[in-house]
Amino acid sequence: MTVADAQILDAPQPIAIWWRRLLQDPAALIALMILGGVALCAAAAPLIAPHDPFASSRAVMQPPVWAAKGDWVHPLGTDGQGRDMLSRLFYGTRLTLIIGLVSVGIGGAFGSLMGLLAAFRPGLDPWIMRCADVMLSFPAILLGLAFVAVMGPGALPVVVALAVATVPDCARIARSVAVSVMQQDYVEAGRAVGLSDLALFSRYLLRNCISSIMIFISLRFGQIILIGAALSFLGLGARPPTAELGMMAAQGRDFLLFAPHIAIIPSVLIFVMVLAANVLGDALRDVLDPRLRS
Amino acid sequence: MIDQILKRLLISIPVLFGVLLLGFGLLILVPGDPAIVMAGPTATPEVVAAIREEMGLDDPVLVQFGKYLGRVLQGDLGRSLISNKTVVSELAAAIGPTAELMFACLIWSVPLGIGLGTLAAVWRGSILDRAIMAISVAGVSLPIFFICLMMIQFLGVQWRLLPFIGRGGPLWTIDGLRHIALPALSLGAIFIGPVARITRSSVLEVLKLDHVRTARAKGLSERRVILGHGLRNALIPVVTLIGLQVGYLLGGAVVTESIFSFPGIGRLAVGAILSSDFPLAQGTILILAVGFILINMIVDILYVLLDPRVQA
Repeated sequence: MTVADAQILDAPQPIAIWWRRLLQDPAALIALMILGGVALCAAAAPLIAPHDPFASSRAVMQPPVWAAKGDWVHPLGTDGQGRDMLSRLFYGTRLTLIIGLVSVGIGGAFGSLMGLLAAFRPGLDPWIMRCADVMLSFPAILLGLAFVAVMGPGALPVVVALAVATVPDCARIARSVAVSVMQQDYVEAGRAVGLSDLALFSRYLLRNCISSIMIFISLRFGQIILIGAALSFLGLGARPPTAELGMMAAQGRDFLLFAPHIAIIPSVLIFVMVLAANVLGDALRDVLDPRLRS
Repeated sequence: MIDQILKRLLISIPVLFGVLLLGFGLLILVPGDPAIVMAGPTATPEVVAAIREEMGLDDPVLVQFGKYLGRVLQGDLGRSLISNKTVVSELAAAIGPTAELMFACLIWSVPLGIGLGTLAAVWRGSILDRAIMAISVAGVSLPIFFICLMMIQFLGVQWRLLPFIGRGGPLWTIDGLRHIALPALSLGAIFIGPVARITRSSVLEVLKLDHVRTARAKGLSERRVILGHGLRNALIPVVTLIGLQVGYLLGGAVVTESIFSFPGIGRLAVGAILSSDFPLAQGTILILAVGFILINMIVDILYVLLDPRVQA
């Protein structure tokens, strides 16, 4: 074994390199910490919420602690029905994140599978991609309106619509990456040594495309959260009394003059989450796939 | 060139068919008896029976689809359950305001986005570039309803500068302009970011090309190089990419119209869905889908007209 071979063997795994590069970017680090913190708070909502998020009290429209009349009993004040804002915020973030993650997860998985299959089986390619083109003709908001019209307002139609809206874009990205992977020598080599289709697909194609797909999904996540929140804001998404950030902002709309915090706090939280997701997506793209850098 | 445009028109046919299928699917998938859904909960059994007969609900699904197609192509989308006007007349009244809003939004946000994107590309890596890109990332991360609420709160309520409810009249009247100002500002605010980003990367791409180097080499001023040779060619992809963002803009318009009570298609759609006015909801979704497809088609055709290379 030569020195060069030994160095290759000792070289850190790609994942470790990616992590290190990602963490060297201060913006990405902050974004990661914000998203991690928010996700943790959302997951632990029942444990850390100081009050029952659905229980009204007489302390209606109480301002947050930094305002003149605020107190520490309700650190972020109360809403128009006297419910604790901080507790509702924990629960609301939870629902908003679940809606975003589930729809991006399902839509991303279906879309990737379609795109990879199109590249793997060129015979299927025109069918799959025409299908994606037709789906692409329906923007997310339109699908949202359509599914809510059929299923009635609720979180489920929103998730279905957002998942469907993620499929065609993801299929296109996955296909474009997969087509170039399929032309690589190692795929040919894999075929030559007699690997089964399944092994070729999962070990060669999927593994080499997954990073590009993940970048796309992380860039998409922010948009999905925004559309989901907008649908809830309009009263088409999650139903009261559940808490959802967009819905909370809508409930604060009537109190904008007297208690602006009810609408502003959830809106700002959505903004921070989406901004962090977008910044992280950009950083991931730079680290994982320098070719895509604009 | 004609070939290209015809080809583009042909591609739209399966998509339009898909839209009609969606409209039909909405009716089939909705829980409950479609006749009762179309007639409304307060309709008498005779009315429901008449609608059942007209829609052919006892026929096979394919025959029903055929009847549905026939009705839609004749412009019969049923009647609104709430206002009892025909859906077509409701849609006709709402299309103008939505088109106005889109126009008023694009007229200021696209030039501003292109200007900012060009500046960022020309001074690539500078503080200006970073600032513009930071603003555009922040812009695409802001919930549209938050921008609208802040516009209402400050420009509308506190400083009393502009009205924030409804439409004042046609765009060419003073009152019409005053009423559309806040919705158009809000909607445009979310569109500047994407346009600036697209323009920046497109200009950067073009500035690398040979003809720009030649223009520089023959001693043209930097301003003429950028405006005459760089931006002009960079705008072609910008047009298509703006077309791709129409869906994003449409989502913003639905929210903006609802918040400002602006009587366009978006508000009509949300109102119809929330009040279970099924025929109207179906009509608004159909018209939004058709509008989206038409805009994309126009953008594609514009692309052919703008870029001589595509015509070959």
